[in-house]
Amino acid sequence: MDVITLPEEGGLAGHLASLESENRHLRVLLAQTSLQADAEIARNARLGRIIAAERSASRAEAEALDALHRRDLADGAARLADAEELNLQLRASEEFNRRILWTTTDCVKVLDLDGRLITVSANAPAVFEVEGSAALIGRPWTALWAAPESRAAVAAALEDARAGRPRRFQARLDGAGVTWWDIAVTPIDGADGRPERILAVSRDITESKQNEDRQTLLMQELAHRVKNTLALVQAISAQTLRGAGTLAAARESLEARLLALSRAHEVLLQGTWQSAALADLVATAAALHGGGEADRFAVSGPEITLCARFGLTLALMLHELGTNAAKHGALSRPGGRVAITWAVQGEAFRFRWEESGGPPVLPPARAGFGSRLIERSLAQGAAGRASLTFPPGGAVFTLEAPMASLAAAP
Amino acid sequence: MSDSPPEQPVVLLVEDDGLLLMEASDTLADAGFTVLEASHADKALKVLENRDDVGILMTDVDMPQGSMDGFALARLVAHRWPSIPVLVVSGMGSPGPNDMPDGARFIPKPYEPTTLVRTLRAFIRRAA
Repeated sequence: MDVITLPEEGGLAGHLASLESENRHLRVLLAQTSLQADAEIARNARLGRIIAAERSASRAEAEALDALHRRDLADGAARLADAEELNLQLRASEEFNRRILWTTTDCVKVLDLDGRLITVSANAPAVFEVEGSAALIGRPWTALWAAPESRAAVAAALEDARAGRPRRFQARLDGAGVTWWDIAVTPIDGADGRPERILAVSRDITESKQNEDRQTLLMQELAHRVKNTLALVQAISAQTLRGAGTLAAARESLEARLLALSRAHEVLLQGTWQSAALADLVATAAALHGGGEADRFAVSGPEITLCARFGLTLALMLHELGTNAAKHGALSRPGGRVAITWAVQGEAFRFRWEESGGPPVLPPARAGFGSRLIERSLAQGAAGRASLTFPPGGAVFTLEAPMASLAAAP
Repeated sequence: MSDSPPEQPVVLLVEDDGLLLMEASDTLADAGFTVLEASHADKALKVLENRDDVGILMTDVDMPQGSMDGFALARLVAHRWPSIPVLVVSGMGSPGPNDMPDGARFIPKPYEPTTLVRTLRAFIRRAA
């Protein structure tokens, strides 16, 4: 004990007192940063593990030192050394926790019980679109939230924190752009166990919120399309049954029409269900009705992307024409051919299906589904003119419509 | 049928899908209605301006070709021709709070043809 040169009695006592006071202060700080660390542990497992390890190490050290402290209570010099050591430990621990909190990409804020900002992390000015931290310190946190529902949520969380309850919520921040935040608000207790300050840690969830919104929109869009498709299937079934002579004939026609609709949907899917490449629709119909002979169709026309609705109607139309040609027209004889051509002249779209090399044709005795589709729906839907004629050389179908009424939106 | 109104009520059918228009038109014609067809809202308005015998309006919602959708058409018709009952049909889920005019009915697509006919007959009885 005589190895260490002690300061004089009064000085030692004074020094001890001041060290112990600092010790108490640092303990309070450690308790607070531990609380902050608790909040962070809950939100970030990896950081949490580091903090937990650090905290338990420093706590164990502090406890060991504390025990030592008591044993050597009589020994002023040892006590002084211990206190200094303990303070170093506590300071290091406090500094470490502080660095962790201030290094995260989250926006971290410490508020007083009135909800005014005391300390903010380095990224806070950018988040709230102000020049520097000085523009935030002392301001009520709620005032930074323009959207009324966000402001109310922030105020409610502060109210909870004042009553000692943590709260986690999501809020929208309106600035130059809209950002979304997942916010954890936690009371920081003072030495008396009562909330003394409030910690708020906000994580930017704008991207996942946008994904969520996109997902919702896609689901609604999908529901809409499925319903429309089912309505279309319903109409096709009803029309088929209306015009059918026998149940067997109805079955055959319905199956073929639904198959044509399904193939057309595949083409639509390639255009993410917004559009259909006309050449693909024509190729699909040619494959369905060409009987495996590629040269029975002569196809030529520029690249055109149709809107989904007109694409589907045209695909059904092509199916009816193909079915008719295979039963009574050019495709019912070897050597019979179909020429499919289209062109765009100014604002006008012209489409032509012309059969040749088939048996001499007569107009059908009664209007079938195909001709009714032409007469009533294709021309009306596309705001144009459509006609199906049966000159002796082979059936001819022509359609003329303004491009604006049938092209996909750019 | 004894509860049918004496003359054939005229329905103005507004639908931009040709096939759905054709089928709805056939369904209503089979049920004894006289059907007028329009492929979008502007054509429907022209029909209403030129005829005074339209008894019911039945419209789809999503019709990109016209200058307004079916909800806007329904509201306009309810305002300009208050005696014409309005039925809106759509695959787009349920209408929002301000989409439909007072007294209009909504049927989601696809619908049962009998539901459609029953709803329109109820309209006629109410208007009579």
